[in-house]
Amino acid sequence: MGERYFQHTFENGLTLLAEKMPAMQSAAMSLLVPAGSCTDPVDRTGSSTVISDLILRGAGDRDSHALTDYLDSLGLQRASSVGVHHTRLGCAALAENVMTGLATYADIVQRPQMPQSGFDAARDLALQALAGLDDDPRQKLLVKLREWHFPSPFGRNSMGTKEDLEKLTLDLCRADFGHRFHAGGAILAVAGNVDFNALREQTQAHFGAWKSGVGDELRIMPPPGMYHHEPQQSEQTHIGIAYPSITEDHPDYYVVRLAVEVLSGGMSGRLFTEVREKRALCYSVWAGYSSLKTQGSIMGYAGTSNDRAQATLDCLVGELHRLSDGITIEELTRAKTGLKAATIMQGESTSARAGAIAHDYFIRGRIRTLDEIKNAVDSVSLEQVNAYLASHRPGPFTMVIVGPKELRLPE
Amino acid sequence: MPLKFHHQTLSNGLDIVAEINPDAHSFAAGLFVKTGSRDEESSINGVSHFLEHMMFKGSDRYTWEDVNRIFDEIGARYNAFTSQEMTAYYANVLPEFTEKAVEHLAHLLRPAIRQSDFDTEKKVILEEIAMYLDDPGHRLYEKLMELHFGNHPLSQSVLGPAESIRNLKRDQMAGYFNSHYGPGNMVLSVTGNMDFNEVVKLAERYMGLWPKVQAARDQPLPLYKPQEQDLVDAKLNRCYTMGMTPGPSAQDERRFAARVLADVIGDSDGSRFYWALVDNAIAEDADFGFYPHDGCGSFYFALTTDPKRTKQAMKIALDELQRIRRDLNNDEVDRAKNKIASGIVLQGEVPLGRMRSIGSQWIYNKEYRSLEQDMETLLAVTPKSLQQLMDDFSFDPMTIVSLGPG
Repeated sequence: MGERYFQHTFENGLTLLAEKMPAMQSAAMSLLVPAGSCTDPVDRTGSSTVISDLILRGAGDRDSHALTDYLDSLGLQRASSVGVHHTRLGCAALAENVMTGLATYADIVQRPQMPQSGFDAARDLALQALAGLDDDPRQKLLVKLREWHFPSPFGRNSMGTKEDLEKLTLDLCRADFGHRFHAGGAILAVAGNVDFNALREQTQAHFGAWKSGVGDELRIMPPPGMYHHEPQQSEQTHIGIAYPSITEDHPDYYVVRLAVEVLSGGMSGRLFTEVREKRALCYSVWAGYSSLKTQGSIMGYAGTSNDRAQATLDCLVGELHRLSDGITIEELTRAKTGLKAATIMQGESTSARAGAIAHDYFIRGRIRTLDEIKNAVDSVSLEQVNAYLASHRPGPFTMVIVGPKELRLPE
Repeated sequence: MPLKFHHQTLSNGLDIVAEINPDAHSFAAGLFVKTGSRDEESSINGVSHFLEHMMFKGSDRYTWEDVNRIFDEIGARYNAFTSQEMTAYYANVLPEFTEKAVEHLAHLLRPAIRQSDFDTEKKVILEEIAMYLDDPGHRLYEKLMELHFGNHPLSQSVLGPAESIRNLKRDQMAGYFNSHYGPGNMVLSVTGNMDFNEVVKLAERYMGLWPKVQAARDQPLPLYKPQEQDLVDAKLNRCYTMGMTPGPSAQDERRFAARVLADVIGDSDGSRFYWALVDNAIAEDADFGFYPHDGCGSFYFALTTDPKRTKQAMKIALDELQRIRRDLNNDEVDRAKNKIASGIVLQGEVPLGRMRSIGSQWIYNKEYRSLEQDMETLLAVTPKSLQQLMDDFSFDPMTIVSLGPG
């Protein structure tokens, strides 16, 4: 690797990644701990979400107030979330403040205080967020689509179920934390104005004693079915559709990404053009590539008035099928330009880059340089894309509808 | 990373403001027009936002397909937005596409407004309105603005009521365009990696013949009064509550202190509201924020709660607003300032964010503020200035609206 990208795996299994961006004043950090929703025990869904809140309520010798006040005093702009594979903790600020904050993040993932009052509040908030899903039909659709499309436990709602959350206790969370928060498979990615040697030394000092560990084997179960209607008294019907694709480390990955770009890249994308611009069936319509480590998928969405929902679905599915007839050279050229420009512009944001290199490493075991991505996009030919599309017709479809009425998948 | 500011006015009166960042990977350009829902006759409420959509439907030279295709051919990140007070159109591209981006933005803002496109797009707008009806937060916000501002034009919805959109005629829109879209009422904001003289030449070439407009904005004095309203929607699970009270305007020097105060009270983490309401799960969300408008301003709070806890949460929130006047401390002010300072640094690194900030600033104040100036002003905010601010704006009168299952 050149002098822009750095990678080092410590003895305990933690991998440190860095991208040096000397023109920046800031740095951003993304810490992925292999405690995502797919690792929640079968009868404790939502526990990662509760734990991800709980560990921020005091760590090391700082209680909840002191910890938050300290991170605020460094000006760290923070975010934490639970994804399928990881619990993610991230922050961005002036580079030296991010470096200073590392020691505290080490406390958070190794020595959280996890007080009872904090657990009670964290679980309560998780239950409230879950209840709020019913008031947000669009969000509910996306959650349900993942549940019905991906095998369990990958399709789970990271918010968990009411039943499981109500059974959760502090002791269970503590045990779970002890079992799942370890350095094995964890990724710490930093992008910005940082010196890698100093970063490596600090990481060794603060995370070097983090215990190692391996994830449990997951029990994979097929999703509940291919079609689901969630009755909801809403103004619009929300339509979600998904079908399997290749994983991100597959040699045809860029072929698929470019095809999806043709479908739903800019406003000249086929879905926007056909469903919205020509037929005015909806305001929001899109499709995207969505990846788990072990399964790629194409997912599509449209939200539309209840009486036009069937027409919208028919049009959406029609466009997915029409891809098999191939794309034009003009469409491919636009898709390539768009993807390359987005890649280069990502280099302007330390947060975007920290997230991207962490994701790359998780999927591919290495960082892709921006040049590598550009070259890979350039090397895809029209013949390649069209041959792929002709031999990989979309389907089988999973379809989820949130709205008052059922819809039929067109023939 | 020395950012350099330039300003030039073309002979037709079009202002160009630029902040050059030679380290940036991209170039961003935006046309900001000082018009929004507050500038609409109530009979055509929603026209600014509908017109924003129509800009993407083509000029005399281009069809809607051309407009979208050309932006995508240059790999642009492009979009537009409409608020109560401004409408903006922007594109972020690699520096090699600077000319194409400026040229295409210029075409975008000379729309043909063809009747057939108008009729088709009307349906999309009605879908957008329907989409927001499924969003309780948005419904609540619209009701709050309507009540809080009463007869003041800021009370008007950006999307407009469906009825007004259905009745809108193509010629009414064209008239609105002619009277609001021109130099004198807009600015071209450009940031990132560029040659400024080159950008001026491009603007002259593609926008230099646009006729100037005189669009005066009404600035009536808002008549605030304390009021409360509970809206019931039995199908909701949660209760959403918002309150609004006067604050400094976008022209008021106290707006910087107001931003710090808003973070002290209601940032998502570590604020007064966080500790009093979210840390203990009484509310799922509790924000306090500051909206500087043109000529007036507002502080607001927003709570999301279990319906059974709404009253309790409201009381705590309102008590906090009184308590902070007595016991504001230095440390919490410093922490809020540090967080805002980080935001300033991070924003300065991304041309798209700076372009929006500089363009908006110009629309409100015809003023450029560098990141260094923003940082200096921020550092000069003290607990005393916040105290003064709370004496000047006492969070009274307050408009409060809630939306829940009843």
